[in-house]
Amino acid sequence: MPFPKRQAAIVGVYTTKQGKLPDRTSFSLQLEAIRGALDDAGLTTADIDGLLPMSGTAHMPGTTAHQFWAEQLGERPLSLVEIGGASGQLAKAAASIAAGLTDVAVLFFGRAGARTGPGGTKAAADRAPRVADDWSFATAGGYMTSWYAMWAQRYMYEFNVTNADLAEVAVFTRYHATLNPDSVMGSRGEITVEDVLASRYVCEPLHLLDCSIDNDGGYAVVIASAERARDCRKKPVWILGGAEAYYTDFYATINDPWFPNQGKAVRKATDRAFGLAGISRDEIDVAGLYDCFTVTTIRDLEEMGFCKLGEGADYVKEGHLRLGGSMPTNTDGGLLSNSHCGDPSGMHTIEVVRQLRGECGARQVPDPRIGVSLQQGWAVHGLASTLVMAVD
Amino acid sequence: MTILEAAAAPYLKPLPEVRPENKPFFDALQAHRFVVPRCDDCGDYNWVPYPACRSCLSENQTWTPVSGQATVYTYTVCHRGPGAFNADVPYVIALGELAEQPRPCLVLGNLVGTAPEDVRVGMPIEIAYQDIPGEDITMWRWVARQT
Repeated sequence: MPFPKRQAAIVGVYTTKQGKLPDRTSFSLQLEAIRGALDDAGLTTADIDGLLPMSGTAHMPGTTAHQFWAEQLGERPLSLVEIGGASGQLAKAAASIAAGLTDVAVLFFGRAGARTGPGGTKAAADRAPRVADDWSFATAGGYMTSWYAMWAQRYMYEFNVTNADLAEVAVFTRYHATLNPDSVMGSRGEITVEDVLASRYVCEPLHLLDCSIDNDGGYAVVIASAERARDCRKKPVWILGGAEAYYTDFYATINDPWFPNQGKAVRKATDRAFGLAGISRDEIDVAGLYDCFTVTTIRDLEEMGFCKLGEGADYVKEGHLRLGGSMPTNTDGGLLSNSHCGDPSGMHTIEVVRQLRGECGARQVPDPRIGVSLQQGWAVHGLASTLVMAVD
Repeated sequence: MTILEAAAAPYLKPLPEVRPENKPFFDALQAHRFVVPRCDDCGDYNWVPYPACRSCLSENQTWTPVSGQATVYTYTVCHRGPGAFNADVPYVIALGELAEQPRPCLVLGNLVGTAPEDVRVGMPIEIAYQDIPGEDITMWRWVARQT
């Protein structure tokens, strides 16, 4: 059974300016994003009856993010809170709306002045700091990039994938970013495979241009019941289906093999999402696939079943993901060249919504009807969720 | 068994916090033994340590010395490091798959004593021990296996 058809729709999206924003705070970016997405929908703060906070959503210490924001947004009791990753939070909100738990919910995030990369960690002054997570990669100098680098290294070893293969992902997403005037990297122009290979290594085998950027920014998404959606300002983007799946930490405790034919969390979430939506892979007109590193996009394609295990790099090289291809993907430039603002898991959904509405200007896919967003995070494909959307 | 020279002082990189539940592990490291929780009921090793066996959910686990022999499952050469690690670039982080089976145990650590460009997936490695100056703790490292 699909979610009861047309029970929930995305009715508002908003992105703040993305980039270095030294004059902004995380709070101000979140407030701007919430106001902006409500305005896009033609709704007001008083319409919000559920919150979908992200893992890094700023709030005052001593309370939870959703309780803090319930007070900030008008001191009213709200009806729903869903955590996880954006595609899955929106899927669960859609299911909750279908079940009658709430009518309007908002997903939001904003970050200023922090960095995800290694530069965000200051050296200890006079004494080794102690980390409470005994087996933490921090004691070995690990950070996000080093995990994905180890994942990439093993993947390249097993499937004879090269650095040049990975670089193709950075090349097509940068091309898309050049068509997106709001992207952080688009103004720097297109790049080639040679440019990626000539950029310095961060963690081998990942070069700098294999890595997402690391910037400030905020965003929000408003989801509403069909009844409310019909009165909103823009055409509804219906939720056809969605699901999430998760497991443990960065593969360090995962029995090998790391790359089984039956897939892992991304496959599980995607199979369920497509099953609920009642559509097949080849019906997707536009996609937003989590791309924190070039290798991530390639593995997304395999895990989601758009191609076979080990064939993700070839699938990219065949041009399917490039504008004009069979499934244009990350048309805003993705996390690699548009924006990675700390917890960007909603950004892929926002771009798919804009594509389905026909708002994308020079990067618009011709008349797309069905789109999909994939979020992953917290680990290498460890927390994954898939959302299938459509317009009438 | 390889015992490395003590790390250079002052040591400003993050270190694990020793607490009652992990103290047997760090006590063993100081005695130059690497111990892994092994299930008394099904015999599986469990790394990283969890409150119960992942295979059968038994809470009857015993800290059991392992050989320290492993192979590189995967690795990375870091050219940027967080905090004090940035002074050490390029440094190697490796996931070593312990010889003990059937449940594979992938142990994360810095691989030292081998030029980064010579590290390979599948390379034989073993646990080494390194005292930390000014701190009441011994850390484990990976080194190329002595043959």
